[in-house]
Amino acid sequence: MRNDSSRTVVASSAAGWPRARVAKLTGLLALVVFVVAFPRMAADPFILSVGVIIMSYAVLATSWNFVGGFTGYISLGHASYSGLGGYATVLLILHTGVNPWLAMFLGGVIVALLAIPIGIASLRVRGASFVIVSIALVLILLLVFQSWGSFTGGSNGLRVPRPFGDEVLRPEQHERFFYLHAVLLAIAVLCWWLIDRSRFGTGLKAIREDEDKAQSLGVPTFAYKLVVFVISAFFTALGGGMYALWFGFLDPIFQFSILTGSYMVLMSLLGGIRNVFGPILGAVIVGYAMEFFKAQYGDTQIHLVALGVLLGIVVLFMPDGILPALRGLVIRFRPQATSIREVTQEELTRDATGSREESATDRGTGTKEEVSG
Amino acid sequence: MSDTEMQPRAEPLAGSLATVGLSKSFGGVRAVDDATVTFLPGKINAVIGPNGSGKTTYFNCVTGMIKPDSGSVSYRGNDITGRPPHRIAQAGIGRSFQLCRIFPRMTVLENMLVSVRSGTVLGKLVSARQRTDIDRARELLTRVGIDHLEHAEARDLSYGQQKLLELAGVLMADPETIMLDEPAGGVNPALIDRIGGLVRTLNSEGKTFLIVEHNMDMIMSLSDHIVVFDRGSPIAAGAPEVVQDDPRVLEAYLGV
Repeated sequence: MRNDSSRTVVASSAAGWPRARVAKLTGLLALVVFVVAFPRMAADPFILSVGVIIMSYAVLATSWNFVGGFTGYISLGHASYSGLGGYATVLLILHTGVNPWLAMFLGGVIVALLAIPIGIASLRVRGASFVIVSIALVLILLLVFQSWGSFTGGSNGLRVPRPFGDEVLRPEQHERFFYLHAVLLAIAVLCWWLIDRSRFGTGLKAIREDEDKAQSLGVPTFAYKLVVFVISAFFTALGGGMYALWFGFLDPIFQFSILTGSYMVLMSLLGGIRNVFGPILGAVIVGYAMEFFKAQYGDTQIHLVALGVLLGIVVLFMPDGILPALRGLVIRFRPQATSIREVTQEELTRDATGSREESATDRGTGTKEEVSG
Repeated sequence: MSDTEMQPRAEPLAGSLATVGLSKSFGGVRAVDDATVTFLPGKINAVIGPNGSGKTTYFNCVTGMIKPDSGSVSYRGNDITGRPPHRIAQAGIGRSFQLCRIFPRMTVLENMLVSVRSGTVLGKLVSARQRTDIDRARELLTRVGIDHLEHAEARDLSYGQQKLLELAGVLMADPETIMLDEPAGGVNPALIDRIGGLVRTLNSEGKTFLIVEHNMDMIMSLSDHIVVFDRGSPIAAGAPEVVQDDPRVLEAYLGV
């Protein structure tokens, strides 16, 4: 019996696995080479600055995907954490004079701590209610940061001290921040991947599929959701802090904007929330498209219309995102290695040990039998 | 195995699952009404009753999915009333759902690896694909007869196969008590026999069963002890032969 089950594994996996792994590693290597080489290839500082923006979106979308991708809880209000991260970083620099990078890290920790009570309150509700709670938080923070002028600079905004000296020129600034964002992205991706393959991650994905069922199997669902929510808030805050240091100016209306949160959701959904690289692909496409439309059509709101259309297309034709859709195409054009074989009533009723040998042989030929289970 | 009496008793037996005065109302409807029941450890217990008699709500109160309004649930001498479902699962009570529930977008093998019995925080961070867990998952899949489907997404399985997967998934945590909500619902007769056979074998290995079921043939041939519910309350309990001839049971079912 032991022998038989191992044969099944080989039959269904030997054909695809090693090649898939080689393809994945090659793709990853190509991505790393591209990221490292990008600043050299960028034609001018503007292109480089677009690269920084896309990188920043990739960090934010990947951070969002800790909650959205694993648990299926769609937060439209993740701008709360990027905004808080940005303000925490800058206010720490201004009031305590700590090193900007330490301030960014501390900002992340502060936001993570704030995310604990927020998570406890908001993760009790599911579906649409959770979405609304997440939006409400952004709006509250927007009002607070606009009104509390003495501390936050209010609607006038807050000028961010440069982390690099004045001798570092703009293009050089862009290049450094491009790489810094890339490092932050790599850490977030690594963390996401580690969770994805862990027991913790399996529990989280079970929550996405069926929360009550997961709990009935012993998964402490609330604790799991809360932990991943805090991790998500932490990375989102780091992303917000780093962007603030690059951009040099904070305004509540842009920091606590529903749009920023929506972009994170759109990018992740577009690329595919079940894949570690989904949000990054989404960030590249949406980020590029947005900058393109802004550059072409200036101050009009056409880029928002384009994004709306894009979201509609994704929901209608690729509900799982681009990466799963591509994967589906690859599988369709590959010779069918295995297909799911239905089991007949006779096989089911037959004594388990007696039927093993027979079913193992027709498994090899891949005959499809009448559905009857 | 303990040679417990077959008579229903008001006070809980040592080591058994029991409820005392369990009640749950939804609005004006008393779905479960003062249910005092003791199940026999090491036996196949059945809960039967007409539609709407509160069986599933009772199940949900016992497993923590619903908080009862009053009354208590005890298991192996511990009061587990109102504990969250995952704590009850970790205490050793596994359950299936009325309309089979699996994780549709995960593979069969991943479905098997969800269940958690205990473990440290560090243990949660290691790869989900531990050799021992995977071996155990494959063993159980082989046992229920769907081991050849381990790489398939669960949603691609037929309903009967999903039922088998759900049962195997519950077994992963090695629960001492297994609660099945309509295991024969919506599956063909051959598979009903197969599930019945699995229940019998597992019971002979020491598992206690609590089965809610409408299929009388299955219940009568399988169970050692039957509790009959009507309008939220247990109205009779005993061995199949005894319950079968009980006038109160006939009245509940036939309305005579």
